[in-house]
Amino acid sequence: MRRLIFAFTTGLMLITAPATFAQTVGYADAIKILAASCGKDIESYCKSATLANNGITQCLEKNQSKLSAKCNADRLVVISLIQARLAAQAEAPKLCQRDAAQYCKGVKAGAGHVLRCLLKAQPSVSEKCNTAIDLAGYR
Amino acid sequence: MNKLLLAGLSAAFLAVSASGLTAQTKLSRNEIINSLQGAQQKVDLTADELQQAALENIQKYPGANAPNTLPLADKLASLRQFNVEITFDFDSARIRPESFETVGLIADALHTPYLQGQTFFIVGHTDAKGAREYNLELSLKRAQAVREALVTTFRVPGEYLFAVGLGEEQLRDPANPDAAVNRRVQLINLGYR
Repeated sequence: MRRLIFAFTTGLMLITAPATFAQTVGYADAIKILAASCGKDIESYCKSATLANNGITQCLEKNQSKLSAKCNADRLVVISLIQARLAAQAEAPKLCQRDAAQYCKGVKAGAGHVLRCLLKAQPSVSEKCNTAIDLAGYR
Repeated sequence: MNKLLLAGLSAAFLAVSASGLTAQTKLSRNEIINSLQGAQQKVDLTADELQQAALENIQKYPGANAPNTLPLADKLASLRQFNVEITFDFDSARIRPESFETVGLIADALHTPYLQGQTFFIVGHTDAKGAREYNLELSLKRAQAVREALVTTFRVPGEYLFAVGLGEEQLRDPANPDAAVNRRVQLINLGYR
């Protein structure tokens, strides 16, 4: 329950706070909120909708007038949480490019070798890159 | 009829680790990563070929249960892989909300640099209850549903994910063909292509 509240406030932060202070959560933790807050509504109004093709998201939006208040609030939080994590993961390689060149010279790209190197070099790695790794959920 | 309906029940709640132990502990992203990473060999096998092999196994060796394992079984067994249980609606490919988190964990794992850029098969399996052709079809639809969820809701790049349904053609526990352990979604790492 505490986690749920935490995740919820995180979602609010993402909307209201500048990006540099944002936190992100993983995809499993995000979608777990949807199952917890909207599980009942999904079984009532979206019995044939699936996670595929964003079916659940679209069905909940279509039926928003019937949903519980909690589900209506959290369904938007979940979308923003997933987007935030996607954005953070797209940004991380860019924000760590310089550190990778400096501390992981000669490390073969692919299969997470560069990330492993950056994690090992954490004390030397720039704050910018370390934060990017945190936000991407890569630690 | 009853038998056919039971085949739809390819659902259970236990997460099973790749080592074959029944895991009572909660499934984690890192557990999935550790089991899938480190693909070494280059594998010359497409999802279509594997799907075709399962169909031919039924056509060549008809009967209530598969008399032998797939010719490709040994090849598959040598690859980095992980088994998860995902709950679907009865007789349907609709993932139930209680399994959203498990699909999210797969997304968490596939979105890490450890696994990015590698090709994966998402393979659906049923137990041996019901007709083999029916099970093949249902397991393919379920594997496709998991793939679609990963690609759309969680935006895992689709070019690396291929759905295959093996029905009851590759049981995990052939000595107990109706056991729950046979109902699973298997992720197999085919490496960089």
